[in-house]
Amino acid sequence: MTQERSFRVVLETPEGIRSFCCREEEYIWDASAANGIVLPAICHQGRCLSCAGRLLEGTVEHDHVDAYFAEDKTAGYILLCRALARRDVRILTHQEWKMREHRLAKGLPAPYA
Amino acid sequence: MATQNTVQPGDVTQRVGVEVIRARGVDVEKLIKMLVANAAAEFASTYYYYTILRMNLAGYEDYKEICEDARLEDRAHWELIVPRIYELGGHLPNSLPEFHDQAGCVAAKLPDPPTVVNILTLLLESERCAIRSWSAVCDMTFGKDPRTYDMAARILNEEIEHEAWFIELLAHERDGKSIPSGHFRRGEPGEAPYSKNRRFYNP
Repeated sequence: MTQERSFRVVLETPEGIRSFCCREEEYIWDASAANGIVLPAICHQGRCLSCAGRLLEGTVEHDHVDAYFAEDKTAGYILLCRALARRDVRILTHQEWKMREHRLAKGLPAPYA
Repeated sequence: MATQNTVQPGDVTQRVGVEVIRARGVDVEKLIKMLVANAAAEFASTYYYYTILRMNLAGYEDYKEICEDARLEDRAHWELIVPRIYELGGHLPNSLPEFHDQAGCVAAKLPDPPTVVNILTLLLESERCAIRSWSAVCDMTFGKDPRTYDMAARILNEEIEHEAWFIELLAHERDGKSIPSGHFRRGEPGEAPYSKNRRFYNP
């Protein structure tokens, strides 16, 4: 039987630093909620940008994300509702408006902007 | 008691109907953006989720009929939202692609392969996104903006029913399980018992 890997997630939130373990097939937003940290989110489809964060360290993979662009990755933005940790990660949360500004500046879809 | 911005008699550049909700703490500009995003999702859902997907449910005539109810009700939602956007001082984008890009839920194109299970899964997740989106509007307006809250709550009522329908169908089709929605069929296609029968704008 293969044991599922897990990674350490450190979140820099407006309320301070929080950390928890996240299984490799568990969305970071879901793991966060399971640990009592409710982050912003609406669509849970990787679309609305409400859950946006900034990846400070580590690697994530976006699973089934509707619209995640190369420009987002280059700028360090991630969508926590559809992001899977692939290494230990450190993330700055509550970046929805920053990410929307980034999208608008790049001429990319920015729901709610 | 909320402090109200003064609108001078005869002034047509401001709306008391907007200023009273702003004074009660509603971020009106943000609310307009949310309504535009939700309107775009409802508009797109009538197109993608139900029109395109329904066309590919050959052999599942009962599912087609349920999709048709959901399609017409989402269209009713779109028509219900638009007047409120303008009442609040907002507007729709002049460009359809721009409008489409503002949708807060995914554009659910026909899945590959277009099996009934894949289509029902897509429909279910679209309803879930709608529930989340309208719940956010309810949260934002509760106790502050009764007109938008009433509209959002009516739409939310129907989206919750739609989710129940697609849970029932997907559980049956994919898992061989019975998870009743608890609902009976609509009286007529797209009846929209909450958003149309007690409509406040559309004839």
